[in-house]
Amino acid sequence: MNTPLKSSKPIPLTALVFIGWLFLMTFIPFLIILGMSFLERTPLGTISFHLSFNNYLRSFQYIYIKVLLKTVWLALVATLSCLAIGFPVAYYLARSRGWLKQLGLVLLFIPFWTNFILRVYGLVSLLGNHGLINQLLLEWGLIKTPLEILYTRTGVYLGLLYNYLPFLVVPIFSSLEKLDPALREAGFDLGANRIQVFWKVVVPNIKEGVFVGSLFVFIPMLGEYVIPDLLGGAKEAFLGNVMVSQFFVMQDWPFGSAIAGMLSLLLLITLWIQTRWSRIGGFRNGIDNAKS
Amino acid sequence: MELTMRKANPFVATIFFIAIFLLYTPLFYLILQTFLNNPYDLKSGFTFRWLLKLFHSPSLLEPLMNSLEIGVLSASLAVTVGTFGALGLFEFSALLPTTIQSLIMLPILLPEVITGLSLLLFFLLLHIELGFATVVVAHASFSASFVYFIMLEQLKKLDPQMAEVAQDLGAKPHQIFWKVTLPNILPGMMGGWLLAFTLSFDDFLISFFTSGAGLTTLPLKIYSLMRIGVTPELNGLSFLMICISTFLVLLLVSKEQSRKWVLRG
Repeated sequence: MNTPLKSSKPIPLTALVFIGWLFLMTFIPFLIILGMSFLERTPLGTISFHLSFNNYLRSFQYIYIKVLLKTVWLALVATLSCLAIGFPVAYYLARSRGWLKQLGLVLLFIPFWTNFILRVYGLVSLLGNHGLINQLLLEWGLIKTPLEILYTRTGVYLGLLYNYLPFLVVPIFSSLEKLDPALREAGFDLGANRIQVFWKVVVPNIKEGVFVGSLFVFIPMLGEYVIPDLLGGAKEAFLGNVMVSQFFVMQDWPFGSAIAGMLSLLLLITLWIQTRWSRIGGFRNGIDNAKS
Repeated sequence: MELTMRKANPFVATIFFIAIFLLYTPLFYLILQTFLNNPYDLKSGFTFRWLLKLFHSPSLLEPLMNSLEIGVLSASLAVTVGTFGALGLFEFSALLPTTIQSLIMLPILLPEVITGLSLLLFFLLLHIELGFATVVVAHASFSASFVYFIMLEQLKKLDPQMAEVAQDLGAKPHQIFWKVTLPNILPGMMGGWLLAFTLSFDDFLISFFTSGAGLTTLPLKIYSLMRIGVTPELNGLSFLMICISTFLVLLLVSKEQSRKWVLRG
């Protein structure tokens, strides 16, 4: 397979169709938005074609940095919470057998396959002032006035946690499944107890997959728009929301593009940290885990 | 030793059941609301009114049809492009330069909000009118990479000797492709198609930016109904969509199950 004869063959035309498609439909649009970020909006609302860094300087203002930090912080906390809940869930599924495992997987996949907007709607109606939670709490006399969860930061946090949890359980589950049971048994035979086997055999072997799985939850959370929009209201905007409002409300496309540039930079930094931490080759494995 | 290993930790089991319970609470609440006279009052009594109303509202039929059509077309486009890519790059996949690898990963890693806005700018710059076609193309622009990875896995499972045998038996390259390679990668193509369809059918944000004013898909419709406020119609729709996703998952599982039975038998 890896003979030099084959690798020296020219890249076939079929591959060029795919690469050309990606270049035209993803890379060029991405370049356009990055290019736009170095232009400037004139007071008349048109766009002047002068190279300028003003948009980026403007994005370093306190209000935007605050949004940036809040986005990173909430995404981080929500990812760690997903991990804390998702790990036992995946572990339980991977260790169970027969019909219980089948049922568990089915139960996990149904919300996964239910429309994303609908899941958010479910949360909105559950957490709202007249929602189930407040209705029950008021009914039971536990509270006098409805709890404010919807349109607060807690609402956004719960939204992230709820919507991304299944996406983290699946990669953890598949890396646990790939773990050879003989490894655990060898650990027991060598006299380790359950806790030792877990930390010295299970964790080191699935670390990579869990890490990349978390990354594939953290990255889309950073770019989240719908959840802060519908569960957080105007106060709890993420970078994505600020970006969209610059485009459609302020009509300042160059500045909106600069926020897109900032978000992309954030992504690059995240990926850079990831490659620094993991061994070479581990990344590919992890991607395969996250996909399956 | 065997026995103690199989027994689940009660703490882990508890977290599992609580998590599943919480995962379903919002969905069950939506279903419950469909059958309440006043969706925001648990004691308002049972009714079929909202569900019946749903079937008499033509305003939901059009978004549904749009979503289905866009899903089918964009999935077919993505499978074509992604399969081409996997077939062409398979032999090189271990030695691909980082630039090409990053290009393939870009649509998967880029936040949807950036993908959507950059495509919007792209279409506006080219003076392409936003609508059905732009949404189809936009969906395929990101799902092609997912298909590519699925097809790469499928091709890895393929025995390279099969093609060699066919060659030894005198098959021409196009014959090898149509008679050996294609039938063997067809299951992967179907899997990729289903994934691309699901991604498209589920997508809100990219459709939001690339659909223009005239076109509504189902997620866009749900979003605009949510913005208006409580509409019992929306709950009826939720009920229906949860039923559909449940049905699809059960269908997939039962197919998998029956395949296992066939293999065993």
